[in-house]
Amino acid sequence: MPPALQNPVTLWFVLTAALAAAAYFGLRQELRLRAVLYGSFLIACLVAIWPPYGKDGQPGKIHLGLDLRGGMHLVLQVMTDDALNATIDDAVQIVRDQATRKGITFGSVQRLDTTSFSVEGVEPARVKDAKAIVQDFFRDGWEIREPGDGRLLVKMTDLFVRQKKEQTVKEAIKTLERRVNQLGVAEPVIAAHGNQGDQILVQLPGVTDPEQAKRVIKTTAQLALKLVDDVSTSREALLQTTGGKVPDDKEVVEGQGDTPGQPVFYLVRREAVITGRDLKNARAGVDPQTNAPDVQFTLNPQGAEKFKRETGRNVGKRLAIILDGIVASAPTIQSQIAGEGVITGRFSATEADELSKVLRAGALPASLKYLQELTVGASLGKDSIRAGVMASAAGMAFITVFMLVYYKMSGLNAVVALTANLLILLGAMAYTGATLTLPGIAGIILTIGVGVDTNVLVFERIREELRNGRAVRAAITNGFERVWITILDTHATALIAAAFLFQFGTGPIKGFAVTLVMGLIANIFASYFVSKFLFEWVLGKRQVQTLSI
Amino acid sequence: MEILKNPNFDFLGKTRYFVAASLLIILAGVGYIAKYGLHYGVEFSGGTQLILKFQNPPQVDRIRDAVSKQAPGAVIQTYGDASKNQVLIRLAGALQGEVENAGRPVLDALKTSYAENPVVESSSEVVGPIVGAELRRKAIQLTVLGLLFQFIYIWFRFKGAVWGAAATVAVFHDVLVTLAFLAFFRYEITLNVIAALLTLVGYSVNDTIVIFDRARENLRHRRKDTLRAILNDSLNQTLTRTLISNGTTFLAVLGLYLFGGEVLRGFGFAMVIGILVGTYSTIYIASPFVIWWQGIKEKRPPAAKAAL
Repeated sequence: MPPALQNPVTLWFVLTAALAAAAYFGLRQELRLRAVLYGSFLIACLVAIWPPYGKDGQPGKIHLGLDLRGGMHLVLQVMTDDALNATIDDAVQIVRDQATRKGITFGSVQRLDTTSFSVEGVEPARVKDAKAIVQDFFRDGWEIREPGDGRLLVKMTDLFVRQKKEQTVKEAIKTLERRVNQLGVAEPVIAAHGNQGDQILVQLPGVTDPEQAKRVIKTTAQLALKLVDDVSTSREALLQTTGGKVPDDKEVVEGQGDTPGQPVFYLVRREAVITGRDLKNARAGVDPQTNAPDVQFTLNPQGAEKFKRETGRNVGKRLAIILDGIVASAPTIQSQIAGEGVITGRFSATEADELSKVLRAGALPASLKYLQELTVGASLGKDSIRAGVMASAAGMAFITVFMLVYYKMSGLNAVVALTANLLILLGAMAYTGATLTLPGIAGIILTIGVGVDTNVLVFERIREELRNGRAVRAAITNGFERVWITILDTHATALIAAAFLFQFGTGPIKGFAVTLVMGLIANIFASYFVSKFLFEWVLGKRQVQTLSI
Repeated sequence: MEILKNPNFDFLGKTRYFVAASLLIILAGVGYIAKYGLHYGVEFSGGTQLILKFQNPPQVDRIRDAVSKQAPGAVIQTYGDASKNQVLIRLAGALQGEVENAGRPVLDALKTSYAENPVVESSSEVVGPIVGAELRRKAIQLTVLGLLFQFIYIWFRFKGAVWGAAATVAVFHDVLVTLAFLAFFRYEITLNVIAALLTLVGYSVNDTIVIFDRARENLRHRRKDTLRAILNDSLNQTLTRTLISNGTTFLAVLGLYLFGGEVLRGFGFAMVIGILVGTYSTIYIASPFVIWWQGIKEKRPPAAKAAL
């Protein structure tokens, strides 16, 4: 569907305008022209629909929703605080480095909360210099306060926080798109969701392995390779040499030891040698010596240069490969390494494969939390389609028989109008790529109901006019004219209700709303204009005395 | 063929009994809901629901035993047609822990303790508490907004707040009565059911408009008659249409209820009830309301002119 038409409101206007134009211009033309106009419109609809559903796994023209074809529907929350924290951590690091470089002594630089940090205990004479550093680096989007005692409080402005959050969600959506692409799902939906703006909706129709999909989506995949200073089995032992405190430029990261359940702690340099951003590519492989699955990666030029420099300088040291805050492995640097490397760890072949996928797609800027998860099995969907089609067919058959018995030849007119209505509805859905859901099928059945109502309104009015002694032609003209306002009002109020259904925003209900809206608009065209045309066409130029109604 | 030839029923003669009956049902419904609460589906209450398809006909008791530890107090029942070998498992209470893999322990337990009849396909729905609460709020908000906008539209089209108010009161009545029936019959309030209720908001106002429209037309020609007489005639004039249109739609949604499968059962039920109630309320709620309103406004026998 063209992007402009994805917006339901736009779609609604375009459809209404198109049908109104067709009807208006059609109405004023002579019969033959109207026949051509309406006929070609209906043929266009038929072409748009055919084939409605594909054979042998080929998709049909009607898009089926998750509830009908099976698949997954996820609502994720982006933990935007993660990204804010990371920004503050980076800022703290910059201020520390700069202050040290300029020879400013300070007590500490630390994060206060997700949006602010403080510089404490700056020597009184140099508070101004310290402030200059902060002002230099954090010009836009930050507020600096100076409460005295050599303290500086630095805080992000609300606007900056909001922008940062938005950007985080946007980045997360992009990353998820890349990841889902690698899963090979056709027609996925990945979009912002909810009022707060921090939720993402992911729909994966026909996904075969939901467990894998969930893992690939959720992994943050923050990769960092950092130099190891010390290793120990407990945090305390590790910090003995540094006096029980983690130095500013170092950090402690946990990893899995040789014996399961026995963690190992690594004291590593805070600054990473390379991160996930330096990767050019990654693929799953097998270690030629141990036959264990691993992930081989290549670096982009800047990353390669940095990697070469650092590994050359640190031969014999260990390099911790940290994935989402946990050490996967910490091999010793045997020699200078240039453009590529291997991540080993206790991976299974599937894990290695998934890891390479997420590394290729890039890291998420923040972790994700599942808020809602819906999976529909393919056969459950098929049962629903069968039941829905059964119910619609039964309804249609009953109505056909009833209309023919009750209104005789005019009933045939109604049946033609109803068929045209369905044709336009399905054609519009196929053309715009709207999704048919199970409640959508219910919407089609309701459309049939509304269609019958319109016909009945017209027919009863014509009968009344005939009873009042009017001639056939006048009765028909009057009948149609008199009910026009009623039809307009009933459809408008129904459209108002349907418009609110749109706002639910979740798959099946939205599908229902789309079907209802299109059905209502199609009905005005089919049950009013097409039906009117049929009456006039059948009567032709003859003088008719009776009407079969 | 004609069902009725020139019907002339006195619809508005005994309205007070019908209004009383409606109030009784609504009060009973409100009381019932206050006492027992509504049966919310997983989307609204938050929680975990699995629909599992087994290779062979499943024994619910065996499944209950197998998952008794992982899912204490869970609702376990066959789902849909027996030949489909499907079982629905709904874990008790709101979601404990993470949304991710909430159904995993149950599936694992079945794999070990009920291995002879493996699960061949599973559908699941896991909803965290935030989503459920947000959806509940939204459902109420949208229904009220929908009613409000229709009120404004009708007010504007019929050039009188009374018509809009009458239609809105009738629709509100329909929603409440349908909700009462959903509560009495212990149907789950799912998203689909809410969709049905919102559709009713659109559909049942149709009926009211058709009759009001006729009344509007009649008012123009018969300025001498009382509003009551005109409304009663309008009801009679449109009666055939009311019977045929609502009858066919009723049968169509009845088909949906009977053949629409398990997923649409609640939706179908709400529509079946809603269409019956919607037809009734147009005659016995909306029209008397118009007369009542005019009566209050004028403190004298309502004249037709006043309604224009």
